Amino acid sequence: MNGLMDLLSGGFLPRFMAGMVVNFEIALISIAVGLALGMLLALGRLAGGALGGATASLVALMRAAPTFVVMFFLLNAVPRDARLFGISFALSGVMTVALSLVPYSAAYVADAGLDMLRHLRAGATHGALLFLPNVTRAFFVLVMSSSAGAAIGVTEGITVILRQAEQLPVLGDRLALFAVGIVLFGIPLQVAFILIGMIQRHLGRAAEVTDEASA
Amino acid sequence: MIRRVLTALAALAVMFGVLPVQAEAPDAALAELLAQTRAKIPGACTQSDVDRLVRILCEKKIRIGVRDYYPLFAMRHGSRREGYEVDVGLAIGRMLGVDVDFIRVNAATRIPLLADDRIDLIIATMGHNTQRDTQVKFIRPHYYQSETVVVGPRDLPVTKMADLAGRTVCVTIGNGSNAQLVAQGARLMLFDEAGVLPDRLRDQTCRLAAQDDSFFAKYFAEPDFDARFEAKFGFAQVPWGMAVARQGSDELARALELIIQIFHRDGLFIDIGRLHSIGLRFLEQQRQVWRRIECNTADGSRNTACILPPLDAALKQTSFAPVVGAFEAWVDRATGIELTLPMFKTAPAWSVFKDGIAYSLILITGALAATLAFAVVLGAMTGTRSSLLRWPARVLTVLLQSSPIVLTLVIAAAVAHGMFAYSAAVALGAAIVALGLANGANAGQAIGEAMWSLRAEGAGDVGLFGKALSRSATQIVAFLINAAKGTPIASFIGAPELLSALTDITSFSSGRVTTYSMLLVFYTAVVMLVVFLCRRLQRWLERRPAGTAVPA
Repeated sequence: MNGLMDLLSGGFLPRFMAGMVVNFEIALISIAVGLALGMLLALGRLAGGALGGATASLVALMRAAPTFVVMFFLLNAVPRDARLFGISFALSGVMTVALSLVPYSAAYVADAGLDMLRHLRAGATHGALLFLPNVTRAFFVLVMSSSAGAAIGVTEGITVILRQAEQLPVLGDRLALFAVGIVLFGIPLQVAFILIGMIQRHLGRAAEVTDEASA
Repeated sequence: MIRRVLTALAALAVMFGVLPVQAEAPDAALAELLAQTRAKIPGACTQSDVDRLVRILCEKKIRIGVRDYYPLFAMRHGSRREGYEVDVGLAIGRMLGVDVDFIRVNAATRIPLLADDRIDLIIATMGHNTQRDTQVKFIRPHYYQSETVVVGPRDLPVTKMADLAGRTVCVTIGNGSNAQLVAQGARLMLFDEAGVLPDRLRDQTCRLAAQDDSFFAKYFAEPDFDARFEAKFGFAQVPWGMAVARQGSDELARALELIIQIFHRDGLFIDIGRLHSIGLRFLEQQRQVWRRIECNTADGSRNTACILPPLDAALKQTSFAPVVGAFEAWVDRATGIELTLPMFKTAPAWSVFKDGIAYSLILITGALAATLAFAVVLGAMTGTRSSLLRWPARVLTVLLQSSPIVLTLVIAAAVAHGMFAYSAAVALGAAIVALGLANGANAGQAIGEAMWSLRAEGAGDVGLFGKALSRSATQIVAFLINAAKGTPIASFIGAPELLSALTDITSFSSGRVTTYSMLLVFYTAVVMLVVFLCRRLQRWLERRPAGTAVPA
């Protein structure tokens, strides 16, 4: 256990926090692109007809695409010197992970966005506002999923933990370090879920009051 | 009188093979060959079908293909070139009495440039293997030998191949030694260029990197790099050969064979090697070889006791490889798409591919079963009235929800490897347990919550669990699908599923775009099938009478 304490006191926490910033950065890029793409898909589904059917199929495909495979596809199939309209778009590690999460985030936003649009059409504003906590939940799922970047050498939180663990020869120390990692990842996640739950309850109560008033 | 008798006896001994005949030395053979060739000049200079040696002597210039950036061996700084191979090329020019015109080549262009007659000779870090033997004529003796070294931080406990099992090693695509690393259970991280490997080691993107020792030699000459990293071990020795064109270069090849023999015997390679701080072990061994009586002859370069065999790099073809090749060509002609299917063309790739698919299906089935099992157990515990069972289940659920799936997998692998020796089955088992726990905990929470909500609505304990399963069917199905989608991530801990298999295949063959596109299609199709089956399960759960007994 001394080995673990030495490591923890030796600049591990600042490195881990810097790594977690990368996790949030990846999630932010992914949710931003997902919001733009997902809302377009939601509008397409709302339109119905052939467009609605095609959009629904596309969303189903995106939902089924495994993030980890998409990440390796982007990493290996996009040339390092790729250009689009004359602009180089060689993907960095962070961008590769972020874009690999876009099928998930866009499909999620498309589902949640469709609900929101239907609520808005029905005049249920509070129901529509549930879109916000839902997107926030997706954001934190993306933060957790961004740890896949460890597989391609992106220095995010889990990568920092794994590099630190390699210096610990004793299994017990490594498991203790992993536990520290779970706590550090878990605190923001659980706090966020509590807040989301509170917001949802608040919106639910507000919707009930509105319904009663309109009745 | 005695002298005459001794002379006569000596002559008889030579005639009847009692004493060894002093064979012609390579020096004399070279002088004779060059003299014979020069005798054809200038008459032969205007002929079109002369040997390249004639043309070189006519033009008083030899065109040598060398690399522009290969530290210690061939570097270019503006118009100035330096390195072991550059100095060897200059020494060959001196032996032939001609100027040297260096022409830039790289790994991809060196053989085509020779075939196009734009260079006469390749001296460009080219390993001699059986595959290249069909494309160029290699000159023997070899002028250097490299091996693949695994480089990593000094404090990393890796000393042999077996220590690589389950570890990630950074390699360059197409490196012939990748297949050996894969066979030892190492996971590969692929890079296009070797030049990035030292930087990726420094910034810790790579903990281990494998590449030619000749490549890393320069970096170990840097005190900072040497202080942090070391060569853990070496493997896959490959001799480096100069090469000339297969046609029209017989006399040039012969002259070069004799020159290289002389250079080895006289220690010139060692002198040049020392000047450029490259490893000298192979060159010192070769000096001993070429000083031996049976090797230091005009025919020494054809004596199998003196020369080294090429590396056998040819991969066994599958029986249907020609059909696959024809299909690729047809797609190219019909659509212009350059389709490459390496997994169907060579026996090792085909074997790895088949195993990858089988392991993937086992992994997906196992992950679904484990998710369902953990969901049921944790759901029952979370929904029970006994706090002794309920709280451990809740704590475990919160812990699993707070752990990114990569970390959960690593923990499962660490525990499994603490209990069992590393193997594909252990990695697969650990991945199934991790994926089952991560997804089963969430599904179990939904079951538990359904049980409590049913109680709140006044449902009795009889048949409560069945009703809770019906109520939480959507959540159970969602996490089953999530488990199936998450299976490729098991490759991170060395589970030999399809992603791992195809990464291994592309590390020693071409066709990355096709390969990863197929991978994406395979997993997406499998997940869609799982979605279809899960939806049927969901409908079955929801149709159960127990599910409708208490409306939500």
